[in-house]
Amino acid sequence: MNLVEEVAWESNVEKCVQCGKCTAGCPSGRQSRLRTRALVQMAYQGIDVTDNPDLWACTTCYNCAERCPKGVNTVDAIIRLRNLAVRRGNFPKVHLTAIENLYNTGNGFPLSPEVAKIRSIIGLAKEPYDVSTDPEELSKVQKLMDITGFLELVRGAGQ
Amino acid sequence: MSTVNTASGSVKMRFSLFPGCIAKNMYASIEKSTRFVFDHLGIELVDHRYTCCPAPGVFRGYDIDTWLTLGARNLSQAEADHLDVLTICNGCYGSLFGSNHILQEDPKKREEINEILGKVGKRYDGTIQVLHFADVLSQLHDKIIENKVYDLGLRLAVHYGCHYLRPSHHHESINVENPHIVEDIITLVGCEPVEFKNRLSCCGAGGGVWSGNEAVGLDVLEEKLGFMEEGEPDAILNICPFCHLQFDQGQKKIQKFQIPVLHLNQVLGLAFGQRPKKLAIHTHLVSTREIERKVKKLKKKRKE
Repeated sequence: MNLVEEVAWESNVEKCVQCGKCTAGCPSGRQSRLRTRALVQMAYQGIDVTDNPDLWACTTCYNCAERCPKGVNTVDAIIRLRNLAVRRGNFPKVHLTAIENLYNTGNGFPLSPEVAKIRSIIGLAKEPYDVSTDPEELSKVQKLMDITGFLELVRGAGQ
Repeated sequence: MSTVNTASGSVKMRFSLFPGCIAKNMYASIEKSTRFVFDHLGIELVDHRYTCCPAPGVFRGYDIDTWLTLGARNLSQAEADHLDVLTICNGCYGSLFGSNHILQEDPKKREEINEILGKVGKRYDGTIQVLHFADVLSQLHDKIIENKVYDLGLRLAVHYGCHYLRPSHHHESINVENPHIVEDIITLVGCEPVEFKNRLSCCGAGGGVWSGNEAVGLDVLEEKLGFMEEGEPDAILNICPFCHLQFDQGQKKIQKFQIPVLHLNQVLGLAFGQRPKKLAIHTHLVSTREIERKVKKLKKKRKE
């Protein structure tokens, strides 16, 4: 069994009866080529879908998983397949900014000088009370990400 | 426990506030109104040194273990103070409820993550709960009425957002196929929910689609905005800063709609008598001038 099949098995895809309710209720699939039914079925058959860009069109709305009559966790299957795709360097490189932000500031969306100004005008602390303003805590967070190898994984695979 | 006994013998609710990246760093108006509203409701919000939740679609999509580790670190901060976590964003709720669920139900995984947390002197035992602010507000109808200064009279297109409703095992207390918890709250302050097609659909921002597949996300949004517009709302009402961002920035990008966007705490802040400028709703991209004008009129009428 290859890694793609393993992911499919862990997400109960073997229970899928190909009814297509997942695809029918998919808001992203209405506007893109994402076909959840086909994607998880291909994975179940061991077809390598980790280079399929449709993996990244899922908004993780969970309509599909919620409506599946067989209890297949389609969204978690897609998330796990994304994890696999990342390890093979297949992911939207535009996400690298958010990933670097997470490592450097603890936030996916960091504070901008404009919003800092708005914060102080409306009576909030100019800088929010979080890890971004606490170098010691931030270094601990970075250490955690170093242990899980997050940045290395994404940067290495992205090259 | 998220309550403390006050000197007068009454019980006061206390939570660790998890504002999330967007309410802190992009739409500070939402953090402001949250603090204003919860202060009026007599609920104490405690701050902790949090990171991003981290986002349930994009960061979890990259590495589940990093997502779980940072989530556990966040939860450990509140647990150290014996506080439940209060989220004001569906993404944060979905992420932290999800990671908490795994850490509580899977002791083996919890220990695995604790081994990592231990390297920076932290630990999470899974003793606290993650709450969504709309659920807390739904328990406080009397207090909301008590604090109401104005019946706002706004027609609102209510957007629930996906990670509040689904997966439904995150929310066994509500009917996820036909929820009315938010409509019930806005009705208390004189607002009217408008009807529109496919009301529980996605805003198109989640899962990394906002940045990674913008055109698809905007098409999802445009369809929803079209349905909302048919209901002729004064504003779109959301319970999630990320949906809020998608509705506010997305309308600027699509250039077809001009519907003001308000987070539930902003609506409550206005109903509790705060001036729109003080809540900074004018910092949104889609003009809120009509809303400000309506609130000003109510103020004038009250003085007469």
